[in-house]
Amino acid sequence: MAIDMNVFRGFAEQIKMLPQMAQPTDCPDNERLKRAKAVFAAKLDSSKATYLESCVHCGLCAEACQFYIQTEDPKFTPIHKLDLLKRFYRREKAPLRFFHRLTEPEITEADLEATQELVYESCTECGRCGLVCPMGIDIAAMVHITREGLAQAGLIPAGLRAVEQEQGSRGTVFGVGPDQIRQAVDDLRAKGHEVPINKEKADILVLSSTIDVLLFKDALEATVKVMNHLGVDWTIHSCAFEGANFGLLSGYEEVQKSASERITSQAIALGAKLVIVPECGHAYPAMRWYGANEHGAPLPFEVMALSEFLGREVISGRLHLKPLGPDRHVTYHDPCKVGRHGGVFDEPRAVLKALGVDLREMPSNKVTNFCCGGGAGLFVMEGAAPMRDAAFDLKRQQVEATGAESVVTACGSCRVNLMAGAQRTQWGTQIESLVELVGANLKQ
Amino acid sequence: MSFTEFVDGPFWYFSAAVFVIGVVWRLVGMLTMGSKPDYSLPRASGTAGAIGINIKRFFPRTDFWSRIKLQVIAGYLFHVGLFALLFFAAPHIDFYRERLLGFGWPAMPEWAFILVSELAFLGLLLLILHRMMNPVTRAISNRGDYIGSALIFLVMLTGCLALARAYEPLRVLHFFLAELLLLYFPFSALMHTFTFPFSRGFMGAHYGRRGVRV
Amino acid sequence: MSFITFRAAVWQFATLLFVICLLAPLPAPAQESAPASPILVPNPGSDLWRAVRQRDAIGAGTSQARGVETGVLIEQSGEEFRNYRRNDFIGNAGLFIAAVAGLILIFYMVRGRIPIPDGRSGKRIRRFPDIDRTLHWLTAILFIFLALTGLTLLFGRFVALPVLGAEAFSVIASASKEGHNLFGPLFLVAIVALFVRWAARNLPSRGDLKWLIKGGGIIGNAHVSAGFFNTGEKIWFWSVMLLGLTVSISGLVLVFPVFGQGREIMQLALIVHGIAAVLFIAGSLGHIYIGTLGTEGSLESMTTGYVDENWARGHHDRWYAEATQGGAESAVPDQSTVARQAPLHTSADKA
Repeated sequence: MAIDMNVFRGFAEQIKMLPQMAQPTDCPDNERLKRAKAVFAAKLDSSKATYLESCVHCGLCAEACQFYIQTEDPKFTPIHKLDLLKRFYRREKAPLRFFHRLTEPEITEADLEATQELVYESCTECGRCGLVCPMGIDIAAMVHITREGLAQAGLIPAGLRAVEQEQGSRGTVFGVGPDQIRQAVDDLRAKGHEVPINKEKADILVLSSTIDVLLFKDALEATVKVMNHLGVDWTIHSCAFEGANFGLLSGYEEVQKSASERITSQAIALGAKLVIVPECGHAYPAMRWYGANEHGAPLPFEVMALSEFLGREVISGRLHLKPLGPDRHVTYHDPCKVGRHGGVFDEPRAVLKALGVDLREMPSNKVTNFCCGGGAGLFVMEGAAPMRDAAFDLKRQQVEATGAESVVTACGSCRVNLMAGAQRTQWGTQIESLVELVGANLKQ
Repeated sequence: MSFTEFVDGPFWYFSAAVFVIGVVWRLVGMLTMGSKPDYSLPRASGTAGAIGINIKRFFPRTDFWSRIKLQVIAGYLFHVGLFALLFFAAPHIDFYRERLLGFGWPAMPEWAFILVSELAFLGLLLLILHRMMNPVTRAISNRGDYIGSALIFLVMLTGCLALARAYEPLRVLHFFLAELLLLYFPFSALMHTFTFPFSRGFMGAHYGRRGVRV
Repeated sequence: MSFITFRAAVWQFATLLFVICLLAPLPAPAQESAPASPILVPNPGSDLWRAVRQRDAIGAGTSQARGVETGVLIEQSGEEFRNYRRNDFIGNAGLFIAAVAGLILIFYMVRGRIPIPDGRSGKRIRRFPDIDRTLHWLTAILFIFLALTGLTLLFGRFVALPVLGAEAFSVIASASKEGHNLFGPLFLVAIVALFVRWAARNLPSRGDLKWLIKGGGIIGNAHVSAGFFNTGEKIWFWSVMLLGLTVSISGLVLVFPVFGQGREIMQLALIVHGIAAVLFIAGSLGHIYIGTLGTEGSLESMTTGYVDENWARGHHDRWYAEATQGGAESAVPDQSTVARQAPLHTSADKA
């Protein structure tokens, strides 16, 4: 693995400095509550209303949440995160609101602030809670709505806010912009790869991410190799290469829209039939499930996660891989946003099958897998470090239960969180990327 | 007017009306709040997901089982027992026949009635105690949860105490508490009785169209 | 209120209770006397009635009705049973329960509340998980309900009926009977569950005899070694199992009279049920006393699941040593605010 550990450590240092880089928000103090409520009012539709009407306080959601399982602190009960939203709903939108106004006090700014930790630093919106709820309440979706309200109220935690502001104002993440992607392309060309960039027209628009440009350069290289190997008509575009969407992560919808629209409009301009999202968790739903809604119309192109694309190529027989052998014992970690929220389970496994490895599933796998702890922007929030560490410890037990020597995944922030945990705990298990495995084992 | 006449007369009509109107109002209200169109390309059918989850959710996934088994077992003992009591216990069928529908249906034998009541009580007591003992439920439960559980328990208990069907005061007490329960029902989390197929359905549809079987 | 006036109030209340229990057997209605010795009277019907009374007959007659003992017209032993129950059993039962209550009271006046050795440390250790506490309180609630309804069925006619009148009491008696009969079988389920959870820890072990000889340290301040459950608790556990099983099985015989039980078996079952129940209730008074008022720091083991470290070290030193072997993980700072914390939400929402 050619990961520059200095860059990795640099990342960690930079993340610690992020809160200082955050700019004050444009939300005056006396507007916070009003703006949050406006978001809640707009976002609470039939499905959310039904969810909020249905909770019986059974507490099963806590038993599915890695943060509660590891801390045994009832504060982290998933449904408790929705207290703010529930109280707003009861007073303002519920069919019985006239009755609730007699018994339910107004939400206050202090309540907004108290909710910040619950929906940001201690929740990755992984959705495991929704799987166990007997009433089928989609808690993760409503955590996100709460984030959206807090974001408008200027209450995104500072570290995450800094990155969201950067992407919103400059279109870059950690300073990685058109120049940096061009540099990365040049570096790859210097190694002998053909890398189409900024073509006028192309069938496939391939996205990358800051993490791949700076840290997981092998993943970008492997992507290039595979696309070339397949002989498809593809391109990277320097105006639209960033898969990560810090508007989505922070809940600030304007930036979510501008980031996904940048990609959508470029893909339309290219006449692309397919947009491939890199190894990144939330980048997948950002385009696959929300891109069309932010656009206001169905997208005229397909969206696939890289792992999904690779799997489909393997299944259809267009991609052949050299087998690594059954003495390679691996387990696969489904990134929550690609798996549970995205529906991509079979394709990465088809790739691993073609690689001939001995795949051993974790005790909780596929739709019930445990989150690595780094999702939903947690990896850029220093305050979330104890939560990330706790989740990693649980994930580690899951991996070790398989006896596998390596854990393969297809998400950059999962990789970062697993690597950080591995460093902290001196963990010997290898952490590998699916596309890198593919890139290294293409059969001619 | 005696208390018996009150309970059998005006209070029954009032509580039944509040129950029906309240439940319908709340259900219709929450289901007609609109939804935003989803322009993303579905991977599979949302409708199939909505129906499938309603059945699947009755069977908790094995992944979670070790941490939730007390609540699931007690929950089923109580709910299945209560359902059987409400619809297949002879005194209740008599009530429906005489006061509501004009017709009845076969009741379960007396021994089954007793057995089912015992299981329902066991489940309910375990659930109430668990709510008080478990740190999560203790932290998130509010007055309404305890009032609802207590009311259900008292209705069941007074029903049991009146089992001999020979003493009017015991019957009236049971009826009175049941009518209080009907009054309380639409304002409480007991509404989950009617909302659960919809909340499950919405989740099933959301994940179903993404191709995820939840 | 101060400790002195609290003890005085307890004393007054207990005296009242004691006196009520003593009075229990007294207002028994006029008892029918034993059959009078036969006086030879030239009654033309005396032969007939002698045959009807089956005084001389040993076997049973025949009848059109088919069933258990349908050939018996008048049960002779029934009279003896009834007299025994009303005159001997009920009176003695009341006295016995009152005596036990009185003894406990005297013990409390003399010994007072046993404090936590060396006072509270402020650190806690987990003793009972959720399932144990849930099962214990399930058993306790069922027991109290069954005891109250059972005592109503036993003493009610003599204690409550004179006060409430026949009509009101018959309502209560019917309700008690139905409730007692329905919840009875559940008690068996509860104690079986407790058995599964705790039997292994209640097996006799090294140190039990010594604990018993030293009286468990309740006399004087001697430190006595014990494991997870001390000998006193083990004795109570097995009493619960034995008495509970007895009361449950005799109860099942009584509540399902469809398996060919004749009157004799039913009468025997009732007496066994009563004796076991009275012993059980008396024992439970001791258990409730020790677990609440009697020993500081005990009740919270069953409400929160956690106990103070000094309580553990003082009362169950061998368990404490084992539990804290795995490092200080088991010892947590006193989060009594966590255990008794107010609900997380700040609203006054009711529904």
